[in-house]
Amino acid sequence: MKALFGRRSVFVTVVIAAALILSGCAKSVNSSSGTTSKDCGSWAIAMHAWNGYTASAQVVAEIAKKELGCTITQTTLDEGPTTYDAMEAGTIDVVIEDWGGGRWSDWTKRGSVVEAGLNGNVGLIGMYVAPWMAEKYPDITDSKNLNKYASLFKTADSGGKGAWYEGPPGYTTIGEKMVAANKLNFKVIFSGSEAALVDGFTKAEANKTPFIGYAWQPWTLFSKIPNLEKGHVHFPANDWTDPKTASGLTDYPSSPLMKLISKKLNDSTSAFKTLVDNFKWTNDDQNGVAADIEGGMTPEAAAQKWIDAHADVVKTWLGK
Amino acid sequence: MHIRKSYLLLGSVTIWIALARLLHGKNTLQIATYENTSFTSFIGEKALALRGNRTHSGAFIYFFNPIRAVIDGFVQFIRNLIAVPAPGGLIPIIGWFGVVALVAFVVFATSQWRTALLSVALLMACGALGMWQFTMDSIAMTLASVILSLAIGIPLGIWAGLSDRVLKILTPFLDLAQILPTLVYMAPIALVFMIGAASATIATMIYAIPISIRITSHAIRNLNQSPVEASTSMGSTQNQTLKKVQIPMAKQMIVLGINQTVMAAVSFVVIAALIGAPGLGKPVISALIIRNVGQGFVAGFAVVFLAILMDRSTSAAAKRQESFIPPTPKKIKMKRFTLIGSGIAAVVSVFLSRTILWAAVWPTSINIAPQVEKITNNATQWILDNLSIFTVDFKDFISYAFLNPLESILSASPWYVTVAMIVALALIIGGVRTAILAFVLAMCIVVSGLWYESMLTLTQTIVGTALTMIIGLSLGIWTGRNDRVERILRPFLDAGQTLPAFVYLVPMLGLFGPTRFTAIATGIVYSIPIVVKIVAEGIRAVPHSLVEAATAAGSTTRQIITKVQLPAAKKTILLATNQGLIYVLAVVVIGGFVGAGGLGYLVIVGNSKPELQGKGLIAGAAILLLGVIFDRIMQAGARRSA
Repeated sequence: MKALFGRRSVFVTVVIAAALILSGCAKSVNSSSGTTSKDCGSWAIAMHAWNGYTASAQVVAEIAKKELGCTITQTTLDEGPTTYDAMEAGTIDVVIEDWGGGRWSDWTKRGSVVEAGLNGNVGLIGMYVAPWMAEKYPDITDSKNLNKYASLFKTADSGGKGAWYEGPPGYTTIGEKMVAANKLNFKVIFSGSEAALVDGFTKAEANKTPFIGYAWQPWTLFSKIPNLEKGHVHFPANDWTDPKTASGLTDYPSSPLMKLISKKLNDSTSAFKTLVDNFKWTNDDQNGVAADIEGGMTPEAAAQKWIDAHADVVKTWLGK
Repeated sequence: MHIRKSYLLLGSVTIWIALARLLHGKNTLQIATYENTSFTSFIGEKALALRGNRTHSGAFIYFFNPIRAVIDGFVQFIRNLIAVPAPGGLIPIIGWFGVVALVAFVVFATSQWRTALLSVALLMACGALGMWQFTMDSIAMTLASVILSLAIGIPLGIWAGLSDRVLKILTPFLDLAQILPTLVYMAPIALVFMIGAASATIATMIYAIPISIRITSHAIRNLNQSPVEASTSMGSTQNQTLKKVQIPMAKQMIVLGINQTVMAAVSFVVIAALIGAPGLGKPVISALIIRNVGQGFVAGFAVVFLAILMDRSTSAAAKRQESFIPPTPKKIKMKRFTLIGSGIAAVVSVFLSRTILWAAVWPTSINIAPQVEKITNNATQWILDNLSIFTVDFKDFISYAFLNPLESILSASPWYVTVAMIVALALIIGGVRTAILAFVLAMCIVVSGLWYESMLTLTQTIVGTALTMIIGLSLGIWTGRNDRVERILRPFLDAGQTLPAFVYLVPMLGLFGPTRFTAIATGIVYSIPIVVKIVAEGIRAVPHSLVEAATAAGSTTRQIITKVQLPAAKKTILLATNQGLIYVLAVVVIGGFVGAGGLGYLVIVGNSKPELQGKGLIAGAAILLLGVIFDRIMQAGARRSA
């Protein structure tokens, strides 16, 4: 290496080494003020990217830190397999809200991921038209009439049919089956991200252009486009026991959202496990906290506000 | 001969269009996105078994997991130094002040004080953008992957420089690595090494190592041979010749190789976040999810600053070896004095950053991110409000006039017609061997079951490349002929090359909506800088005598360009087209995030839906196959035209 870099680099290396050794020996500014944890231990909560999730996870994190003295790490990562792998590897302990209707089964079979009950929120998925359309064409919200309006939804990308904007990759989607089973004259376009759907709905409502797309609740877009709920297109209700064999004739089912924990947490006797096991709240609770975050509050402050207002609920979660 | 070839090309395209019309919609091999072929479900099962094996299979316990642990540990060590507190601590080992001082010292020692000052300014700018910790994480990731890449790349490169056999073995891999779109190999790596810093580091290394091997071996090979021969004839051993003659002589070129390796690693910072790399990629990606253009740009600016910092400091280190005037003894003494002085200052600063709070933690009061966010958000909004009428019209025009017809030829006609025609084109342009290769690779795609999606992606790539070449050629000719234009355009080209495509994916989404054209536009912006640079280079390389002779003969500027410069630079232009195509392909697949569908979407959906994992992995392979087919055809065409 010396042949390549010469004497100067040796000097540089010496300086860096000296700096490192020195700083390694020096006493750090605040190493004395480390928090003392009681017996709770240290746990990692997965942080998924949507606001509602942040609300739930932050409330649990704040209670765990302040009431139980746990050391909590919050790690941002993708939902689904990525997170389950991390749980298997021992780097994530809690998923506070999973929409995935059993996609974790391979991991639960191996015992590395454990179902920890429902969190009380209910996910609603459906196809929505831009609300101005529901007002102008009142019968459009019945799936039987969609074909009548299909030509309105035509774009350069939809091959002469109506454009049907499908949900993001990680979400439960059966658009192709719905279109085929209901003989709809639509082409499924995979919007690929939440951003694409937000873009589609907002522009359609602002410019009064036609749009039909996938939407779910709780979702903050419903507070940004107030009448979005009115655009819900109703498909015939039907049996939806197994998502893999769903015929597509039907609308999406409402799905109670699940909590998942790691084997490590499941095996422990920590008070944190009791908290996660007992955590359960409503869509309104979550929307309230999420709206505060959306409105500019930090997640910590928004969570604390809810905790202060619901001391009795928090007490029951703690098993007191 | 020349005319016959273009007639042949025209003829086969006509036949192609006719056949496509005639057999429209038959045997397109289209399957629904949620469906697996037996092959993709087989791969999916294998991948699932692999995941299950992580905890108890020998290959994992004794090979992959230790590699992951070692690399993770190495990255974590560097991160603990500058970015995140070690377990139990509350601040990283070196605080921000110490990092700035150390960087300034290192840059000063290896190049000059002006570059050192620039580095300090850039680092502080990243801090002021509220991105200090993300920046430090990215620097840590970059450092780790560069150190590991060089540890493998330089020795291999020297070996390949000395031995023809080694070079011959390595060359196909180096070629492949150059056309490998980054989105493709991340899923397989994450499957084996799991999401996290280790996977991200390994993915970066796969991208960076070939570059360092290539430049190092090139450096050794292109040395003036007489000193080497002299050394050998004086009885030096091969080892001595290498250490005392070849490496010192090749030093400057090798340092340039280090610069290129660093830049490769930096350009990977954002996309690596998709597989769990800590750092600036995270805010960029999450800006895509929550559609906050401003936040994406703030993080994007930090990436550009980081890239400039890395580029200037390493390339200045390479340049400083050049000086011909030997320094006077007084100057040497002076320099040594300041060097030692600044070294001591750096050590003291590091010590301070460990013991005093303001020097340890970046002051939160210095944060201009909200303002920058607001400005970029407003600017984007203004552009969207005022331009989207034009952009939507333009998008529709391109879609109806080019995308849809081409898509119906490529994807809506029977697969055997398309395969036969691709092979015919390969035969005409590249010759028999290229045609056979194209046939085999195209059949691999057919067998994989993802033919239809591959054709969608191919359509977008072709249209994107065509538009890129129209813009790139004119800009390239202009900059190649005019030094002033070159000087003005240069910074934009450099920035365009380092600004991650993810940053402008969201504004593009705003302009064009969730469509195929959004992917294409992003691909165009990403590939134009490289095309312009190559074309300009080619135009400048045309011998002056040719241009002067034409001018003397009374040719107009237009005639000079079309009759002299373009024909003379034909090979370079073909290579630029090839490069542009590979770049467009690499980014078009990211368009899966914004409604472009095709193979890219399958890769993305495969990452989040376990039952489609096999399909996602195969889609990655199909992207690579497409890339190789077209790279080979274009390369053969360029060779023949020479």
